[in-house]
Amino acid sequence: MDATLTPETWYWLLIPMPLVVLLSFLSWLIHAVSGKHKEG
Amino acid sequence: MDATTITFIIYLLGMIAIGVIAYRVTDNLSDYILGGRSLGPGVTALSAGASDMSGWLLLGLPGALFAAGMNQIWIAIGLAIGAYLNWQLVAPRLRVYTEQANNALTLPDFLENRFADDTRLLRVLSAVVILLFFTFYTSSGLVAGAKLFEATFGLPYATALWIGAGVIICYTFLGGFLAVSWTDFIQGILMFLALIIVPIVTLMAVGSWDDVTAAVAEKDANFLDAFHDMTLLGIISLAAWGLGYFGQPHILARFMAIRSLRDIPTARLIGMGWMVAGLFGAIFTGFIGIAYFGPEQIEDPEKVFILLTQVLFHPLVSGILLAAILAAVMSTIDSQLLVSSSAITEDFYKQILRKEASDKELVWVGRLSVLIIAVIATLLATDRESSVLSLVSYAWAGFGAAFGPIVLLSLLWRGLSRNGALFGMIAGAVTVVVWKAQTGGLFDVYEILPGFIVCGLVAILVSLFGKPASEDTKAEYDRVRAMWR
Repeated sequence: MDATLTPETWYWLLIPMPLVVLLSFLSWLIHAVSGKHKEG
Repeated sequence: MDATTITFIIYLLGMIAIGVIAYRVTDNLSDYILGGRSLGPGVTALSAGASDMSGWLLLGLPGALFAAGMNQIWIAIGLAIGAYLNWQLVAPRLRVYTEQANNALTLPDFLENRFADDTRLLRVLSAVVILLFFTFYTSSGLVAGAKLFEATFGLPYATALWIGAGVIICYTFLGGFLAVSWTDFIQGILMFLALIIVPIVTLMAVGSWDDVTAAVAEKDANFLDAFHDMTLLGIISLAAWGLGYFGQPHILARFMAIRSLRDIPTARLIGMGWMVAGLFGAIFTGFIGIAYFGPEQIEDPEKVFILLTQVLFHPLVSGILLAAILAAVMSTIDSQLLVSSSAITEDFYKQILRKEASDKELVWVGRLSVLIIAVIATLLATDRESSVLSLVSYAWAGFGAAFGPIVLLSLLWRGLSRNGALFGMIAGAVTVVVWKAQTGGLFDVYEILPGFIVCGLVAILVSLFGKPASEDTKAEYDRVRAMWR
């Protein structure tokens, strides 16, 4: 696999980690906007 | 007395003070085992993270990156995805279901109530497994903590061990779950700060990011390539560590203890932000460390974080950063200790031995259990080479493969039967043990993957083709499901 990859390949591999934070943020945002956090 | 020692002493006294405060607000067993389900999102998130991440985050992961380069990141990617899915799929459902299922306080308690298992087999089996493995886990954590003390202060190993164990026992004994969660919160902040500050200061010492990559490439260009010397199976095997999350009782306990379902999105965001920042910090500490030390070799790669803190910071700051390693170790030990104590108190004493026990009696049984397990674990740890401690290497995969699919299926599928859960658990655990004993070819894959698959398949097949789940448990599932939707 090495031949097809540049040394910078690993930059892309770090995407899944920030992605899960982004998904958590979006889910939090949707929750906040829908006002559910203010109930009860 | 030097500045580093003073910092450590202040840190340890702070932990004990938290234990005393928690003692004053702990009135019954629910408080002692689960903090009365009163944790806010910040404490839930950081205590779940700190319980999960042991000294591995500050020593093992930076060391692996330092020694082998970027092909070590796969485990971090797998863990981040696993933890996210755990927050997404398990946390809200487990929080609601455990409260609805007869206010279950422990994982064995939940399993028994979820499947209306009047034979008590599910409870007893899972509680015994938890008790056994977490005692060894605790012991192995104590060894790691004592080694750190020994290396930092030149203290004799036995003295270091009993000081560390003494502090943990003190606050866990007194304050139970709240003490453990609040100390984990502080410990989580310490770990976070250390993993942000150390790589940034090291980067500044090296120069620019381009200088780092150039220096790493000069040492070994393969260190930049995440695919170097990696097969597809190797990558899957490392990433499969993330599957372990669904079955770790000490992490799941945090989900059960959060104040409200509505706090989970905030907790998830804080928890994932903390974890990913911490993993990045650990990865870059190791990676930038390669550039910092250049061609110079260090004796033990796992000490790269410790060496950087000692070289780059004032002893007072260095003391705080080193305390973060101790924090990582302690925050895992205390949680495992408490979960073991809960297994004795809730799953055996209250449910089987003395059903009429008062709340006050149960809290003191809980405290006594903490003391007994901690003393056993510490005595085991006095022999740091003890072969019994190697059992720990089964724990992450064992819990992940035996409990993980069962926890997931019990929350996602109304049709999972009690027999499905029981046989699935046994099949998952046996697969892990058998697979681990084999080597070569496919058997080099981390045992959690086959264990997880076998457990899930057996649970589904037995539920479909064996005695089905009762209509009562299905109806109960539907009732509770309506609450988390």
